Amino acid sequence: MSPRRLTPAVPRRAVLGGLAAGAAVAAMPRRIVAQDKVTIRWWSPQSSPEQLAAYETQMRNFEALHENVEVVFEKTSDEGYAPQLAAAFASGEVPNVVTHLPSFAVSNYWRNGLLEPFNDVIEMIGPDKFYEGANDIYEVDPGQYAGTGIGNSAANMMWLRTDLMEERGVEAPPRTWDEMLAAMEKLQGGGIYGAPLPYGRNSMTTLIFIGFIHGAGGMVFNPDLSVAIDSPETRDALEFYKAMRQYCPPGATNYSWGDSLTAFVSGACATGIYTGRVLINVNTQNPDIADHVTCVRYPTKSADIDFWTFNDFPSVFIPKAAPNMEETKQFAAFLFDPEGYIQQLHAAPGHVLPVLQTISAMPEYQNNPIIEKYSEEVDKMAAAAANGFNLGWESREHQPNAKAGEIVNSNVISEMVQRVVLNDENADTVLSETATRIEEIMNAN
Amino acid sequence: MTAKAHTAPALERGYARLGVLLIAPVIVVFSLVIVYPLLAAIYLSLFQIYTPTLQGSFVGVDNYMDLLTRRAFWSSLWVTLVWTFGTLSLQIVCGVGVALLLHQNLWFRSLARSLVLFPYFLSTVVAVLVWRWLFNDLYGALNHGLMQIGLIDMPVDWLGSMPNAMIGIILVGAWKYFPFVVIAVLARLQTIPEHLYEAAKIDGAGPIARFWDVTLPQLRSVLTVIILLRAIWDFKEFDLIYLLTGGGPVTSTQTLALLVYQEAFALNEMGRAAAYSVGMMLVMLVFMIVYVRHSGREG
Repeated sequence: MSPRRLTPAVPRRAVLGGLAAGAAVAAMPRRIVAQDKVTIRWWSPQSSPEQLAAYETQMRNFEALHENVEVVFEKTSDEGYAPQLAAAFASGEVPNVVTHLPSFAVSNYWRNGLLEPFNDVIEMIGPDKFYEGANDIYEVDPGQYAGTGIGNSAANMMWLRTDLMEERGVEAPPRTWDEMLAAMEKLQGGGIYGAPLPYGRNSMTTLIFIGFIHGAGGMVFNPDLSVAIDSPETRDALEFYKAMRQYCPPGATNYSWGDSLTAFVSGACATGIYTGRVLINVNTQNPDIADHVTCVRYPTKSADIDFWTFNDFPSVFIPKAAPNMEETKQFAAFLFDPEGYIQQLHAAPGHVLPVLQTISAMPEYQNNPIIEKYSEEVDKMAAAAANGFNLGWESREHQPNAKAGEIVNSNVISEMVQRVVLNDENADTVLSETATRIEEIMNAN
Repeated sequence: MTAKAHTAPALERGYARLGVLLIAPVIVVFSLVIVYPLLAAIYLSLFQIYTPTLQGSFVGVDNYMDLLTRRAFWSSLWVTLVWTFGTLSLQIVCGVGVALLLHQNLWFRSLARSLVLFPYFLSTVVAVLVWRWLFNDLYGALNHGLMQIGLIDMPVDWLGSMPNAMIGIILVGAWKYFPFVVIAVLARLQTIPEHLYEAAKIDGAGPIARFWDVTLPQLRSVLTVIILLRAIWDFKEFDLIYLLTGGGPVTSTQTLALLVYQEAFALNEMGRAAAYSVGMMLVMLVFMIVYVRHSGREG
């Protein structure tokens, strides 16, 4: 019996071909998957643990509805977003969705052609669901929206310790600056400071001090955006701010948002200046004082000067260079889906207030222990925020100021405060130089 | 003979070509990572450029005129020099002192030598966060400790007023970078011949005289290199100062690196930022020239 020749069932050429094809296929799927899998990058400076948990819900819910999409969250910060976004825009490596930046940042980027029109997203959310006029600040040209608000905030509410007021004979919250100084005199002492006003070279000092200029009846810009900061009202504001220094902790010269918040929440200061985030922080970090906090609008120079609330109109916008625009817009609209949006709002109740009236009316939103417990304070903040402004839009008569972001980031106003309050420089000289510097920024580029 | 004469130049030419070929990758990499950014910075400095779009217009030497006429550049240069001199002096004094200590026969010397490197290896962000907490007015251990021992009645504002802010960044900078001096000096100390000390002892020199007459002269060359390198690195320090004081109060701790950052990313003036960084580079060039000359002499 002759040995049987084992003829391969598959010719060698076919095997080699198969191997080559296999290798190609092995390499291919990754590329195909990479092409099919869409990654949405989401930036926000708001990233407390509770907020991150809410974002997680929103991201996973969206991914569940869109199997090919992965959403990743990347933190930025109130002080750091401008340089980070400048670098991102310059390199083309932009995030898909950016939330919680102040409205003036949006108008600046829009004026430089860096943002995607937002009308589609507002249509997806439902324009009728928004409070009336909620999107006015984002209407950069008639009928053209650069973004929308993800919430409202009242950032310069005055927080008070009612137990200390009672103990030290302060009968009512101060309405004017004179009353404020008198209250400080009584409230400071026994290891407790009067107020955690910021005197640092940072955006908080700038934004808060703009409120004091308005509290004196002044403004930084005239409605036509000519510079108006060199005024008697700003001098009054500087004088008051200087008088308040003795009632603030020594380190307030370096305070920003976190330091100022902590100074009140920890009980080191009798009053505070912040948004509604105080409520959740007091309840979780210092429950002993949780039953003794309330808020009012920050006093003005005299009772005939109206309150001025700083609302940064936390925004949502999409960079024009963002990839996967269709999915990006869907995700931006999905941020307002009730389940995730309410959880996000509940992460810091009263801190970011809803812009959708449909959400405010929902029992799911109202049924929150903090909102129920502090309903009066939340209502006050909502009313204040509804009439709030910021440097990008100082009053209803003002034109939108696309340079507001650069003025804030330049620290020109916080430096003015430091020079007068800390260095005791001549206010007239400092104001004149500050006005010149602001004019330079307005005229640049 | 003639054939040999022909072969030698041919061989030399071959070696020369090989040399060019071998050094080419270095030249290419050097050009990409140093020459190109340098030329790009000089080119950018001739334009007024909006950072996010990198669009702008040619302004010639206007940015340099700005640099020369604005107070910001000169005040930041002065702050940079004060910071560099202050922190470098402390680094050298502490570094040499600790190196001398670790050169002695101590218990746990190996452990101590490892631990002394800790600040140098620690991330700047983490180090600054820790120091900010130490300096904190309300909860900081530093104020608390000083109040406990009765040195102060009220908390001291460490980072928000002058001269405390400058002293604060100088101290933290020295703490963070002195281990580099320790490593370099310790390595040199271990190579100083023992007989020099023995001869000095025989001549009646005490410990202090031995330090000045033997140790310090032996450390001179390594200290020169350390001072030059650290001066260059400290001169362009950014993250530590930015995170500790942000350049404040007002602009009292705003070094040139912080000024460049503010121009480029806060004011979106990339052209002016590039001009400032070119100015900064020219100042650093002085250190570089000294370093190169010193290296050449040593070589």
